Amino acid sequence: MSIPSDLLYTKEHEWVREEGDVATCGISEHAQEALGDIVFVELPEVGAAVEAGKPFAVVESVKAVSDVYAPVSGEVIETNSQLESSPELVNTDCYGEGWIAKIRGSGGRTELLDAAAYATFLEE
Amino acid sequence: MTPSLKQTTLYQRHVAAGAKIVPFAGYAMPVQYPTGALKEYHATRGDGHAGLFDIAHMGQVRVRGADALPFLQRVTTNDVGKLVDGQVQYSALLNESGGFIDDITTYRIAADHYYLCVNAANRDRDVAHLQAEAADFAVEVRDESDATTLLALQGDAAQALLQPLVETRLTTIGYYRFAECGLMGESAIISRTGYTGEDGFELYLPNSHAEQVWDALLKGGATPVGLAARDMLRTEMGYALYGHEISEQVTPVEAKLMWITCMEKGDFIGREAVAARKSEGRRQALIALKLTGRGIPREHYPVLVDGQRSGSVTSGLYSPLAERGVALAYVRPEHANAGALAVEIRGKAIPALRTTTPFVRSRVNPAQKR
Repeated sequence: MSIPSDLLYTKEHEWVREEGDVATCGISEHAQEALGDIVFVELPEVGAAVEAGKPFAVVESVKAVSDVYAPVSGEVIETNSQLESSPELVNTDCYGEGWIAKIRGSGGRTELLDAAAYATFLEE
Repeated sequence: MTPSLKQTTLYQRHVAAGAKIVPFAGYAMPVQYPTGALKEYHATRGDGHAGLFDIAHMGQVRVRGADALPFLQRVTTNDVGKLVDGQVQYSALLNESGGFIDDITTYRIAADHYYLCVNAANRDRDVAHLQAEAADFAVEVRDESDATTLLALQGDAAQALLQPLVETRLTTIGYYRFAECGLMGESAIISRTGYTGEDGFELYLPNSHAEQVWDALLKGGATPVGLAARDMLRTEMGYALYGHEISEQVTPVEAKLMWITCMEKGDFIGREAVAARKSEGRRQALIALKLTGRGIPREHYPVLVDGQRSGSVTSGLYSPLAERGVALAYVRPEHANAGALAVEIRGKAIPALRTTTPFVRSRVNPAQKR
């Protein structure tokens, strides 16, 4: 199970990379594996205000619909439009080309775990 | 996993293969294997491949006796009198109100000897119903489900893969025909039937033989396929699934299954109610739709006509071949052919168009509907 050490994780299995006030986020290896083949991603609108801990995107696998929760509060400044035609990138490269959105943070955040804490959380 | 779940004979094979196991109709069943449902789907649809399905949860009922034909004419909707030895027929069991107790396939082994395949979830109810009705007939109704394994081998390569294991020339078994023949040294029923729209076979064999046949077919190159891909394959064909398009709440008039309901064969259970429903008009219309916008229409999502709620999706998926969301849905009868269609997905109306089934090309003989 890949859990890159330079990322932070939520207990809902999102990952986030914070660079200045911009947070790039996606879903973790564990999440994509549990979901199975992703066939659809509903991206948030660019400019949308999102609230930490609230659903802001949706990933759908063959059998399941799953909310993606915003790790931080703020404004969506960019989304990965590649996922509209190639949702499988979430399966094949969840921490890279499978990123979902970038949020300009306004301060609020959910509980974020570092890689070690997330690995422990997954074991529990 | 709930300990009370039943297991098929092949359960340990699925666990060893790393399948994800889910409860389904009281059984612990593989929903997908490690490479995922999409690969399993493509293995079944693709040229030169075949998918192998453990569907041993389904039930088998043997009906035998001097009154077997009049008995089945009374309890099933289709005309059993049309069957010849070695022929299979898609049919249904109705209650007196015309609602579906189950949809089934009827195999004629001999004039006084038939074999029924029923849904796992309805098996106990079906058997109780059949045994109660059998009281008035010289017929024996025997539930053989627990001793029988049913496998489906579906796809372009199914015949080539199966042929080395059987003693009959498979080319002699036509669509919706079967043979009782040797399969790796044990007697089995082999029918050219399925639930995927691909050419292929369903194999009924004793449990004691299941692992040997399963292993041999995998060794021959078949891909094991779980319930998730199976549901994609059947929905793409527009085939009804009990609990979705058919239930006790609908009659064959609503479910577009009058083609398996023979009103001219004489009386049968539910006939009067179906005739009444036909004359008063269907209460809902089953339609096929494809989204023109992005999204996946899922079961229970509202279907809107001209912006108003008209019904809901009964089965839907993202179709890899159609490359869009497709669905079966019940709407109000007046909306069967008229009005602007949409599916409400997370509060948004995604536009859709009426279409016909199958949603994608079928490899089975289109002149002979399931």
